[in-house]
Amino acid sequence: MPNAPNNADQTQLIDHLFRHQFGKMVSILTRIFGLAHLETIEDAVQDTFIKAMGAWRNGIPENPEAWLTQAAKNRTIDLFRQLKSEKERAPYFESGPAAIAINELFLDREIADSQLRMIFTACHPALDPRDQIAFALKTISGFSQSEIASALLTKEESVKKRLSRARNMIRDAQLAFAIPQGNELSDRLPRVLEVLYLIFNEGFHSGQKEMLVRKELCAEAMRLCKMLVDHKEVCSPNVQALFALMCFQAARLDSKVNELQEVIDLRQQDRSLWHFPLIVLGNQMMFMAVNTEEMSVYHYEAAIASEHLKASTFEATDWDRILMWYERLQVVAPSPFNSLNMAVVHIQRNDLEAAKLVLDSVVPEDLEQRAYLYHGCMAEYHRNRKDKAEALAAIEQAIQLVTNEHERSYLLLKKEKITAMR
Amino acid sequence: MKQFMMIFLGADYSTVGQSPEQMQERMGKWFAWGDKMAKAGVLRSGDALDKAVRRVSGPKRTVTDRAGSEIKELIGGYYVVAAKDMDAVVEIAQDYPDYDLNGTVEIREVMVFDK
Repeated sequence: MPNAPNNADQTQLIDHLFRHQFGKMVSILTRIFGLAHLETIEDAVQDTFIKAMGAWRNGIPENPEAWLTQAAKNRTIDLFRQLKSEKERAPYFESGPAAIAINELFLDREIADSQLRMIFTACHPALDPRDQIAFALKTISGFSQSEIASALLTKEESVKKRLSRARNMIRDAQLAFAIPQGNELSDRLPRVLEVLYLIFNEGFHSGQKEMLVRKELCAEAMRLCKMLVDHKEVCSPNVQALFALMCFQAARLDSKVNELQEVIDLRQQDRSLWHFPLIVLGNQMMFMAVNTEEMSVYHYEAAIASEHLKASTFEATDWDRILMWYERLQVVAPSPFNSLNMAVVHIQRNDLEAAKLVLDSVVPEDLEQRAYLYHGCMAEYHRNRKDKAEALAAIEQAIQLVTNEHERSYLLLKKEKITAMR
Repeated sequence: MKQFMMIFLGADYSTVGQSPEQMQERMGKWFAWGDKMAKAGVLRSGDALDKAVRRVSGPKRTVTDRAGSEIKELIGGYYVVAAKDMDAVVEIAQDYPDYDLNGTVEIREVMVFDK
């Protein structure tokens, strides 16, 4: 009689156990064998899951994570033999008794350290930004090529290209698998934060229909950001501010889309769906983050997000404070998108003259494929001026330029409203 | 009650390019199936098999090693269940998780000899 799983608890694994374990093990093994062996390492870790799938069929071990870690350790020793016999260099083994050294690397603190090294590798300035995202999702987050493709709304073939370009670049440039120290750390950290924020926004703003996929991207970005927060040397007020920002945005994720997968704007969102624990966490993080002289983009964006969360209804929004944050944001990081946001705030405050002034300063072409946002905002401006003809012309232009289906239906809805104007 | 063996034939998992998340999901289906059979009291025994294959064949007892990835229909495991007849086992086999990977369940009755 096999020990078939009979306890309900035993038939459930922690969500994403394999995915997270993949990231941990790949990072540790890379620390041992070096970045040059990344592909071999990924296959080896994949193998431990296949082993688990067979071995656990008649019952899950008491501590699945420990089981997987042991399997990975065993694979490490196999790999070491294999690579050694290929007369390859395995840098870690050149000093000290290997067995003890290996065991130490599997301790929790060292696991976190290894994963941070992988994050810094993925976000190395030598890599193309889009390759960085794909590489991070694959290597740290254990996404498959097809999962990355669907998350980033791109073709699997192009994900494959990005991954191999990143791997080649890492190998050819002989990047060190390390957390940078001192000045180098402060030089490299901004790019890491940028990549994590990009991953988050891929989830938050994506046209992806599957809410699950979007949540996973946001959750991954937050998990990685939390690792930075938890590391004494790496954590800084900017890291905390980014994490706070992600908490504030993620708190609204469920209310952004309705059951029909339609985008719901801030005015219409059901505020009771906002996730309170995340808001609390964000506030705690923000409290620590403001302990600095120099506020970053993330500080101001988090401040803006938190102003929205503070308002119990759309009408209760404190637009003056939001405008103030946008103005400060514009000082540290001027951008046409920011200008557009400011114009929207002016419209909300009924200050149409100020809105016009800001809109006139924006060159729609600077917004590239998101130029439709400019025309959408123009339409809103003219609608508030009760100029139906101009509003219709602007919304028409926006609809012609938009590519994302969700956004298109949102704009079409807006057009209906303008058409209904008297 | 007769006993039947369900033999699982299919691709080597390592060659089908699944992500860790997909593997965990698939494993959940195996758990659920095993659980269902155990609760129904029909599961007698079963194991998963490792992918390494060594064959001994012919009068000369020739020994060959083959990697799982070279074999199109690798036996990945088996379960022995108690059931009334083949049709009842076909019913049980509906929950086998690997049909989407072109997996096959081969059902064979365990022979019983009268004493």
